[in-house]
Amino acid sequence: MSERYSNEALLESFIYETTQLAEQLEQMVIAGESKGGFLPEEINEIFRIMHTIKGSAAMMRFQNISTLAHTIEDIFFVLRESSSVEAGDSLLSDLLLESVDYIKAELEKIVNYLKADGSASKIISALKNYLTALKKNQKAFTTNKDTANTETNKFKSINSNTERFLSQEVEGHKDCNRFEAVIYFEEDCGMEHIRAYGIIHELKDMVNSITYLPENIDTEESIEAIQTNGFRLYITSNLGFDALQQLLMNTVFLKALKLRQLNKSSNECAGSHINDLPEETELTELKFNKTKFSKTMFNETEIKAKNKERTAYHSMISVSVEKLDRLMDVMGELVITEAMMLKNSDLEGMVLDNFHKSARQLNKITSELQDIVMAIRMLPLSATFHKMNRIVRDMSKKLEKEVNLTLVGEDTEVDKNIIEHISDPLMHLVRNALDHGIENPEERLRLGKTAYGTITLKAENLDSDVLITVKDDGKGLDKDKILTKAKKSGLLNKNESELTDREIYNLILLPGFSTKEKVTEFSGRGVGLDVVMKNIESVGGSLTVESQAGEGTTITLKIPLTLAIIDGMNISVGESNYTIPIAAIKESFHPKDEDIIIDPEGNEMIMIREKLYPILSLYKIFNVRADALKYSEGILIMVSQDEKVFCLFADRLIGQQQVVVKALPEYIREASDQKGLGGCTLLSDGTISLILDIGDLIC
Amino acid sequence: MKRILIVDDASFMRLAINEALTNNGFEVVGEAEDGKEAIEQYKLLKPDAVTMDITMPVMSGLEALKEIMKLDPNAKIIMISALGQDTQVKEAILNGAKSFIVKPFQDEKVIQVLNKILEN
Repeated sequence: MSERYSNEALLESFIYETTQLAEQLEQMVIAGESKGGFLPEEINEIFRIMHTIKGSAAMMRFQNISTLAHTIEDIFFVLRESSSVEAGDSLLSDLLLESVDYIKAELEKIVNYLKADGSASKIISALKNYLTALKKNQKAFTTNKDTANTETNKFKSINSNTERFLSQEVEGHKDCNRFEAVIYFEEDCGMEHIRAYGIIHELKDMVNSITYLPENIDTEESIEAIQTNGFRLYITSNLGFDALQQLLMNTVFLKALKLRQLNKSSNECAGSHINDLPEETELTELKFNKTKFSKTMFNETEIKAKNKERTAYHSMISVSVEKLDRLMDVMGELVITEAMMLKNSDLEGMVLDNFHKSARQLNKITSELQDIVMAIRMLPLSATFHKMNRIVRDMSKKLEKEVNLTLVGEDTEVDKNIIEHISDPLMHLVRNALDHGIENPEERLRLGKTAYGTITLKAENLDSDVLITVKDDGKGLDKDKILTKAKKSGLLNKNESELTDREIYNLILLPGFSTKEKVTEFSGRGVGLDVVMKNIESVGGSLTVESQAGEGTTITLKIPLTLAIIDGMNISVGESNYTIPIAAIKESFHPKDEDIIIDPEGNEMIMIREKLYPILSLYKIFNVRADALKYSEGILIMVSQDEKVFCLFADRLIGQQQVVVKALPEYIREASDQKGLGGCTLLSDGTISLILDIGDLIC
Repeated sequence: MKRILIVDDASFMRLAINEALTNNGFEVVGEAEDGKEAIEQYKLLKPDAVTMDITMPVMSGLEALKEIMKLDPNAKIIMISALGQDTQVKEAILNGAKSFIVKPFQDEKVIQVLNKILEN
C-alpha cells in the first residue's frame, strides 16, 4: 500500500466512508446537544466512528486526520468507561463540530487532488485539554469496583494458571533439556510485548518451565527492550533441540532466532534453582489495565432500530454517478430509437397485427425500464434537509435566538442532479428565515409568541414536481418597506396600487434587493434571493413567496422530479419543429381573425373569456418561414409559466410525445443569444425539434 | 488458493485488505461487517483463515473469535488491532487467535502472517 494516491479505488472508498462517518457524527452531536447529553449507545457509536477514521486515515497516511480522530477516540474511551461522568457538554459539542469541519475541509482538498495539509494542532490541543480535565473529574469518582473486579479476576485466573505454571518448580523430570532462546521480531510488526506474551502462551503447554526477559511484557515499556535486545527465554523441556526450534520458528514476524541448548543436568531438573541464570527474577504478576472492556447497556428499541438500519445498509450498493449518467443517456437513446422504429413511415398503411402486439409489449417494457432508471437516480432529500440542522444550530447560537427546525417529508425523492442545485438555495432561505424572520426571544414573548421560533422544511410530491416549503413563524414581510425600497431602486414597473400582495412579496426576488439596513455576516448584501431564483430556475423550477405580517413567511419551491425526459407537444412552423412542455400548456384552439386585438404599441393580443392575453408568433420570434401567416390558418396554444399566461402562434400541432431533453450544443449557445430555447430533441422520424423554454419567451 | 474471510466494520478497511490479499494470491471468499455476521459467514464458507477486526458493532471481534473457536477449534483467525488494545489482543490470544497485526499496516504484513499461519 505504499502507492496510496495511485490507488484511486481505495482513495475513493476512504473519502466516501469518512465523509459518511463525519456527517453521521455531526448529526449525532447536534441531536445530542438538544437532548442534553449522549446515551451510552451513542458514546459507543462515536467511539467506533473515531476509531475507524483513525485507522483508515493512518492507512492512507493522512496523519493529521488520524491524530485528531485518535484524540477524540481517547475522550470517548474515557466517557465510555465512566458512567459517573456527565456524558457530554456544550464545550465538547463545539470541539466535535470543529473537528467535523476540519475533517470535511481536508477531505474536500483530497477530493480535488490538493494536499491535505491543514493544521489540526489547535483543535487537538483543545481536545487534549478537555481530556485532561475529564480524567481529573473521573478520578474524583470511584470506578465501579465490582464489575471491574469480576473482569480482572477472570483475567487473573487465566493468567495465574500461566504464572503458576511459569514459576513452578519442576519435579521429577529426569532428562529435561535446558535452552536459551532469543527472539528478534521484524521491524514495525507492532506490539512486540504482546507477541512475546503470545509466544509464552504457545509454549506453556509443551514445555516444563519458562523464564523470560524483559519481564514486564504486560506494559508497553518493554517494547523498546524487546526491539533492541530481543525477547530472551530460558526454557526447560523434554523436547529436543529440533522440536523446540521448529516450535519457535512458527513465530509470526520472526526476524531471527538464536537458540542454544545449555548444559542439561538431572540435578537441576529435579527442582533446584538454575544457577547460571544472570538473575532469577521473580515472575511478577501480570498487571492489567484497570479500565475494563465494558459492556454498554443497550436500549432495546434502539438496538432493533440500528439492526434494521444495518440490514437496509446491506442491500445497498454505491454506484458512480458517471455510470448512472451513461445509463440515463443510453436510456434516452432507447426511448428515441423505439419511437423512431414504431412510428416509422415505412410502416404506414400496413396491416401488422402481430408486429403491433409485439410493439406494445416492447413499449411496456421500455416504459418500465425508464421508470426504474429514473428511480435509481432519485435520492431522498433527507441528507440535504439534515444539513440544515447544523446551520440552524450555528446561527441560532450566534444570533442568540432560539429556533427549532422541523423536517417534514424528508423521504421525498428527487433526481440526484437536482439535489445538488437545491442545497445552496435552501441554505440561503433557511438563513433568511433565521436572520430576518424569526424575532429574538424577548421580542417574541412580548408579542405573545413562544420564545422559540419554528422553521419548518417540508417536501411533498405534486404531480411531476416536488414542492419544498420553507416556513417560519417570524415577523413576516413588511409590504411598505418593500415598496419603499423598490421605488427607491427604481424596480417598480407598475403602479404600486395595482400590485397584488404576491407581486409585492415577489419583488424581493429581484437582483439588488434588500431591506436590511446593515450588512451582517449572514445576509443583507442583496445578492441572495435572485441567485436563489437563478439556481432554482436552472433546474426548471420556480419560487413563490407568501407572507403574513406578524405571523411569518412561507417560501415555496416547485421543482421538477427530473430534468431529462418530459411530456411534450410537438408543433410545426413551416419546416421547423418545436416542442412545448405539456405541463406549460393550458389549452389550444383555432382563432378567428376577428378575435385578434392590436394594442396601442402594435402588440397583438387575443380576448378569451373576457381576459386579454398577448400573442407571440413563433415564426416572428425565430425568424423562420411559416405556412400560416393569418391567424385563422394556424393554431394558438395558450401557455403559462409562473403566472404569466400568453399564447403562442404556430402552424399546427403534430402530436404528443415523450421526449428526451438534450441540452443545446455549446456552439449554438455561444453563437446566438436566441432566447426561448430550453434544449432540443429528436422526433420519431429522426428530425430535430427545438424545445421551447416558456418562461424565457415571455421576457 | 487459500480462502480468506475478511471481517471489519469499516468498508474502507475491508477494501484495503481485500486488495492486499487478492493481489497476493489469496482468494477472498467473503466479507462480514460485525461479529455476528462473521460467525454466520464462517459457518457458510468454511474459509482457510479469517482476518478479524476487534472493534465492531453488534458483536465484537473477540466475541466472534470465541464463538468460532467453539465451532471449529482448528479455525485460523488473526486479529486486526489498533495500538492500545493490549487487553483485547491478549484475550484474543488466550482464546485461540493465531496471531495479530497492528493498524496501520502494510500489505506485506497481512500476507506474511497469513502465509505463516497457513503453512502448518
